[in-house]
Amino acid sequence: MSERQHQPLDPAIEASLPHVNVDDLIVCLKYYVDETQAHIGIKDQHICAECDPKPCLAFCPAHVFEVDRHGHIMVSYQACIECGSCRIACPFHNVEWQLPRGGYGVAYKYG
Amino acid sequence: MPDRLSYDAIVVGGGPAGTAAALVMARGGLSVIQIERGRFAGAKNIFGGVFYTHALADVLPDYWERKPPFERPVTEQGYWMLSPDSALRIMHKSEQYRQEPAGAYTVLRARFDPWFAAQAVEAGALLITRTTVTRLLKDARGFVIGVDTDRPDGQVYAPIVIIAEGVNNLLTRQAGLIASDLPPRYVALSVKEYLSMPPKELQARFGLAGPREGVAIDIFGDATLGLPGTAFLYTDQAGISIGVGMLLEEFVCHRLRPYDVLARFKNHPVIRPYLEGSESREYGAHLIPEMGYDRMPRLAGNGVMVAGDAAGMVDALHREGTNLAIIAGKAAAETALAAHEQGDFSAAFLSRYRRDLEASFVLKDMKQYRHMTDFLDSTPGFMGTYANLLNDAALRYFTAHGIPKRSMEREIVSLLRERRSFTGIAWDMLKLMRAMRG
Repeated sequence: MSERQHQPLDPAIEASLPHVNVDDLIVCLKYYVDETQAHIGIKDQHICAECDPKPCLAFCPAHVFEVDRHGHIMVSYQACIECGSCRIACPFHNVEWQLPRGGYGVAYKYG
Repeated sequence: MPDRLSYDAIVVGGGPAGTAAALVMARGGLSVIQIERGRFAGAKNIFGGVFYTHALADVLPDYWERKPPFERPVTEQGYWMLSPDSALRIMHKSEQYRQEPAGAYTVLRARFDPWFAAQAVEAGALLITRTTVTRLLKDARGFVIGVDTDRPDGQVYAPIVIIAEGVNNLLTRQAGLIASDLPPRYVALSVKEYLSMPPKELQARFGLAGPREGVAIDIFGDATLGLPGTAFLYTDQAGISIGVGMLLEEFVCHRLRPYDVLARFKNHPVIRPYLEGSESREYGAHLIPEMGYDRMPRLAGNGVMVAGDAAGMVDALHREGTNLAIIAGKAAAETALAAHEQGDFSAAFLSRYRRDLEASFVLKDMKQYRHMTDFLDSTPGFMGTYANLLNDAALRYFTAHGIPKRSMEREIVSLLRERRSFTGIAWDMLKLMRAMRG
């Protein structure tokens, strides 16, 4: 992915990171959920099964991706804030990513 | 052919680039349709956000009389360098910033963008919201001749399409203006919270004399765990915009949750007292294209131009973007007007859009900072190392130890040498200077 070798984080910094429940943050957001159509999804679950670090579980700012008890990736597209990180950063480009239909998805009140 | 929906120009996107383009074309006499996927222009938009008025004045000379929904003028600004328990601050406050209208205001985009879009509508543009453009329509020669939308029978035709779709550049790619997707090392992911606070309390905490003063602080070092990125703390009219951004690659490689990094920053001993008692009103995230001058898309093709974030028009070092977008939208619109006059919509004719931008600060600045992202990427410890060092040196400097000052100076020098050799420092500074000079 990168030519640069990433140094591991300083363990003290790692330990200083809190564990935030993102639901407490997105509860303030206004969504118009498209119940008929998901705008993001996984192209091939087998690829996710092979993906060891599964970085999407961490980097998605709305924690849209989660692993179910069968090891499949679940996509809570309803919570998506349409930033596009998963479209770009999935190491296998395994996220099917479209814009929500017009009028659906997040609607910022402040922005 | 049955009555197909035709205009002189189509603008995709209701952000600053798209609205500037729509406004200038409508004023120039073209029939313009501007298509926005959100429920209103700005519904999907979020930024730090400091907004620079010079660009607005360029497209709307009488903008001040139109009462733009600004939050606060920026009358004090600067940098804080954080170590885990300290902050070194370099702030600039001046009476010069108090002229009205000011050069920079804090802005909330879901308030500002609808106002700006309404100015284009007043100029005669047709704004269609809640409509997603799904693809570009091309003729047999490969000229872009319109767009398809997710509305039934949603094709719209025009000899010119201006793409201002934002950082998720799906149409720009479909137009063939950029070959591949942006890699995560050239895109920053930023998360932000808007916290409300009564104006009087806000003013007391930040030392503001009233609603006509405001602060914009960019923050480095521990705010981003010492990794390449910046954090920000800006005052709004009755609230605070606080956020943190890093190259997306950092989140990927270190398995970092953006909201954890933000919460850690908010809890920093220097930051926390400013936020105490505030209420979280909104959280959001956005990508910032930081691919720089050398990886921008081509700006024009046959029947099509691209402006704003979609074209990577960001100067991350100076937190500029919306002003670049507005100037680019205007330049694209002027080229569209000339194209209509000549009846020539070829890429060759539309290339004058790029020439205009090369002559303006937009591409001059982008060219100057073309190596900035690579510099940060190749010097990942830069911000953390120096922010910590400066704070440790300041602590020695400001503390009376009962030891001679000459020894204190030697201590500071050895602090430096413990962390970075002199040649290492010289090398870092040389690289930084090169990145700044272009």
